Amino acid sequence: MTALGWLQIAIFIALVGLLTRPFGGYLTRVYGGQRTFLQPVIGPLENTLYRLAGIRPQAEQSWLQYAVAFLLFHALAILALYALLRLQLMLPLSSPGLPSVSPDLALNTAVSFVTNTSWQSYAGETTLSYLSQMAGITVHSFLSAASGIAVAIAFIRGFARRRFATIGNFWVDLTRGTLYVLLPICVVAAFLLIAQGVPQTLSASAVATTLEGSMQTIARGPVASQEAIKLLSGDGGGFFNANSAHPFENPTPLTNLMELLLIFALGAALTNCFGRMIGPERQGWTLLGVMAILFGLGVAVIYALEANGNPALANLEGLRTLNPQQSAGNMEGKEIRFGIAGSALFADVSTASSDGAVNSMHDSFMPLSGGILLGNMMVDEVIVGAPGSGLFGMLLFCVVAVFLAGLMIGRTPEYVGKKIGSSEVKMTILALLVVPLATLGLTAIACVVEPGLAGLGNAGPHGFSEILYAYTSTAATNGSAFAGLNANSPFYNLTLALAMFVGRFFVIVPVLAVAGSLAAQPIIPRSNGTLPTDRALFVAFLVGVIVIVGGLTYLPALALGPIVEHFQVLGGTLY
Amino acid sequence: MADVIVLALVVICFAVAAGYAAACDRLLTRPVGKDVSL
Repeated sequence: MTALGWLQIAIFIALVGLLTRPFGGYLTRVYGGQRTFLQPVIGPLENTLYRLAGIRPQAEQSWLQYAVAFLLFHALAILALYALLRLQLMLPLSSPGLPSVSPDLALNTAVSFVTNTSWQSYAGETTLSYLSQMAGITVHSFLSAASGIAVAIAFIRGFARRRFATIGNFWVDLTRGTLYVLLPICVVAAFLLIAQGVPQTLSASAVATTLEGSMQTIARGPVASQEAIKLLSGDGGGFFNANSAHPFENPTPLTNLMELLLIFALGAALTNCFGRMIGPERQGWTLLGVMAILFGLGVAVIYALEANGNPALANLEGLRTLNPQQSAGNMEGKEIRFGIAGSALFADVSTASSDGAVNSMHDSFMPLSGGILLGNMMVDEVIVGAPGSGLFGMLLFCVVAVFLAGLMIGRTPEYVGKKIGSSEVKMTILALLVVPLATLGLTAIACVVEPGLAGLGNAGPHGFSEILYAYTSTAATNGSAFAGLNANSPFYNLTLALAMFVGRFFVIVPVLAVAGSLAAQPIIPRSNGTLPTDRALFVAFLVGVIVIVGGLTYLPALALGPIVEHFQVLGGTLY
Repeated sequence: MADVIVLALVVICFAVAAGYAAACDRLLTRPVGKDVSL
């Protein structure tokens, strides 16, 4: 570990903190339907879209209408993206010799990008045409992020409103999020990435002669425009197979910092938006504080573990002095230009958020580091999370926390002025249980059937971690891969698509149900029986609830994977 | 043929999700008995 490494991490956390309030204020204006500085430019376009689609912006929806609109939109989106991938050979901008995508892979990819997961069972540069990348992957990165934020905003309205039968209009939230939030930031970010050397071209791959005289094909394309939304959306699906480890996606340490900020900026800002919309801003800072504690612990431990190197290699006589990479820490699978700190930070950000972009190979991290990356996803990615899903995941844990606190200390179960009754708790538990059910159930099946075992790249606990990571990542809509698992088979394409489907829709439906139930309630004034939810005690309690719920649910699986592998590495066994 | 199966799978999955939403709605509107909280 170095002082520079810690400084890098500290600067990143400080910048996220600085961006949270201005971004939060802007989000509040956008979703409150207020005028923003972009209104003169975007307003006419927004109104034209409403007219063309026959949407009345003032007409609000009940939670069930909102959920049906959400489901209908995503069903059509999956079919549209599937058709695009299947027909890419016949469409413009297809590279010579690039076939259409197979049905199972096209379904997996369509579900993946529409659900904001971006799990990729394929290598982008050798599988998708430029049109598929731009009109398919990039467009759905925008829409899936905007729909996730829309759900979070609807959930916030549930807490903020009193005696309302409606929670907003899905089509309006989707449109305003795309036009006023995602597009402007991505335009600026794409130009900054281009300035740093990220390509943005429709030219075919370049062919170069190497110093040794052989020919090399260098893939390129409209990378910068996809890269910006890949990070901002919490989507994470790279143009290239190596994702943000590829020098054309993430060429410099400065772009690395920019990418990290893009991943966290909106998720963190939504906590401030929550505080502003319900009243006391402190409530938002409390949630961000919980996220910061969990994030800080994770990144510190990962950095320490990776900086110490692999003990099984260090014990080999002379290796530490002969191998400069091991003397710098566990550099296997990491880029020299980012180093240990830049890689550890990116990995923790990527899994704590729902983004899933990678600048190093998670498969090569030390076993306990891999366990933390898994843990970040297993707690529903509430540590900032994707734009939208991180906040509503955290609010679900708040509901559980105040309910448990009420049971333990005899306080009235209420949160930010809303009474938490049995209906809300049932919906919350439903939302929190479907993800582990999908993750652990499908992992168990994959571990005992031949098609599941056929994809493994490693034996023993590491192989188990590969399978567990795949289903955890997809059910949590993260999309990062552990590597080592060949998931491009009908078995994995279909079961992983199922995990993504359940992880997105079977969580969001009860979330919207809770929003509708809360919006219909009055606001209860604070009394002596009210548990303060903007104090340090509640922060500590909420951290405990998140860790314990995640730990109790997944500890047996973690024990079979990264924990047992850790002890085997200490004993000199490597996988 | 594979495309037809995929189309059917997508329709079935979203039909299940819509049914799930309707079940959640019923669960929310069902009377839950006397409220004994403070």
